[in-house]
Amino acid sequence: MKRENKIKNEESSEEKYSREMEEEHSPVLIKFDHVSKFFKNDQDILTDINLEIRKGEFVSIVGHSGAGKSTFLKLIYAEEMPTEGSVYFDGVSLDMISRRKLPYHRRRIGTIFQDFKLLSKKTVFENVAYAMEVCGAPRNEILEDVPQILDIVGLGDKMEKFPRQLSGGEQQRVVLARALIHKPHVIAADEPTGNLDPVSSMEMVKLLLDINKLGTTVILASHDHDIVNKAAKRVIVLDHGKIICDDAKGKYKIC
Amino acid sequence: MFLILGRTMRESLINFWRNGWLSVAAVSVLVLSLFVVGAVFMMGMVADNVLKNVESKVNISVYFKSDVSEEKIAQSKKDLENFKEISSIEYISKDKALEIFKRDNAEEPVIMQSLDEIGENPLLASLVIKANNASQYQAIADYVDNVSFKEDVSRVNYGKNKDLIDRLNTMIFQIKKIGLAVAGIFGIVSILIIFNTIRITIYTHKHEIEVMRLVGSSNMFIRLPFIFEGILYGVIASIVASLILMISIKFVNVYASSVVSSGNLFSFYLSHALSILGLQIAIGAFLGIASSWIAMRKYLKI
Repeated sequence: MKRENKIKNEESSEEKYSREMEEEHSPVLIKFDHVSKFFKNDQDILTDINLEIRKGEFVSIVGHSGAGKSTFLKLIYAEEMPTEGSVYFDGVSLDMISRRKLPYHRRRIGTIFQDFKLLSKKTVFENVAYAMEVCGAPRNEILEDVPQILDIVGLGDKMEKFPRQLSGGEQQRVVLARALIHKPHVIAADEPTGNLDPVSSMEMVKLLLDINKLGTTVILASHDHDIVNKAAKRVIVLDHGKIICDDAKGKYKIC
Repeated sequence: MFLILGRTMRESLINFWRNGWLSVAAVSVLVLSLFVVGAVFMMGMVADNVLKNVESKVNISVYFKSDVSEEKIAQSKKDLENFKEISSIEYISKDKALEIFKRDNAEEPVIMQSLDEIGENPLLASLVIKANNASQYQAIADYVDNVSFKEDVSRVNYGKNKDLIDRLNTMIFQIKKIGLAVAGIFGIVSILIIFNTIRITIYTHKHEIEVMRLVGSSNMFIRLPFIFEGILYGVIASIVASLILMISIKFVNVYASSVVSSGNLFSFYLSHALSILGLQIAIGAFLGIASSWIAMRKYLKI
């Protein structure tokens, strides 16, 4: 019931946006409106961020470590809330979502991390299935979806392996499969290639580009020149919590 | 919904099992406190039973002179029945008094022999008065002292048991107070220990919890395993505590069976076992949930 309602709401807000943005080719999915984030007794992490990310975009966020990339992503999947300003997702401000509804928001975003965050005592299959189990999906749906998604990331034959038996690149693909299992609107990848060798990194980017082609918005935070240049999509450069550059067809650079 | 309940319950069972000694520690402290609760409850019920028993034995006996006729006694009885604090009046005739006396002293040949030697019935007819409430005996005694048929009365027998009842009452009150205080202390200790156990469970599951949050698992799904774990501690502990209570009562039974009216402490316990178990489970589950909740409030970020 709840899910149906949610889908209905999304549809209506989508319609609203497509009307408002008639001349644009796709509706705004994420909007940062004068967003600042800082903690007490600490320097600002993000200062007055304004930007829009459209549905289906592939955005690379680059910058030195400590520039605020991770916080930027955390604001999107509501791990952190902005100190000032608002983050809008699909037209709805995230601080309007109650704590009880927050998990449903998180299901719309798949997350990938440098340190994988896989459960070492569970097999590849179980790790991906876990994401469905804890959201209350029925068993038969799990048995159907998990192998499918593992096939997409090319791990169909390694379902019964444990994470430690896989290479870094393969582990990260398990994470990607887990992130995709709820058919999210957005993939938020925080340094996904940080622990990978160059070849695996390239494969990862290729996978992300493929997923993006199928319509999923991808936000990739990275400080790796090669993979950002490989993606050759919109590049946003963060430095000391400020956007200093936003290039539609970008290369990695410090403006 | 059942799916969520099932999965979270399974999760908490696995936690309980894998925590091993930690679970044993949490359960045993809880067992101690629940045992005290059960014992206090049991003692309270026994005490009430004893009190009722003693109270029911209290009465005022009005003995009539041996030359007073039965009709006159019946008339006096009718007079007394108007007094509303009195719950019952039993007439015991001379013959009946003798019968009771003989029965009570059947094993005392000396007494029986002397009774035979007297030849006639030396006992007096009496009215045995019982009050609705133990505290009303004083008023009844005062009333009987000034009745119209005063000249027919040989003596009034009252007051033997009054002091005993008062003493018993204060003693029971003290025992209950001390017992509840001890149970309270144990309760607080067990909350602290379960709290700590759940805290460690939360800590060891930090990774899973993080993943659960990231993939959008509902808050309930994250919390329920810990709540169930708390309930599990409570229920297991209350069952163990009941068993220990049962065994210890069985043991004490040999020495103290006569304190209850039925004459068997153990069967008295058995007849109340379900309510005691229910109380223990309720308190145990409450303590478990409370400590889980405190631990989650403090350590589980959602």
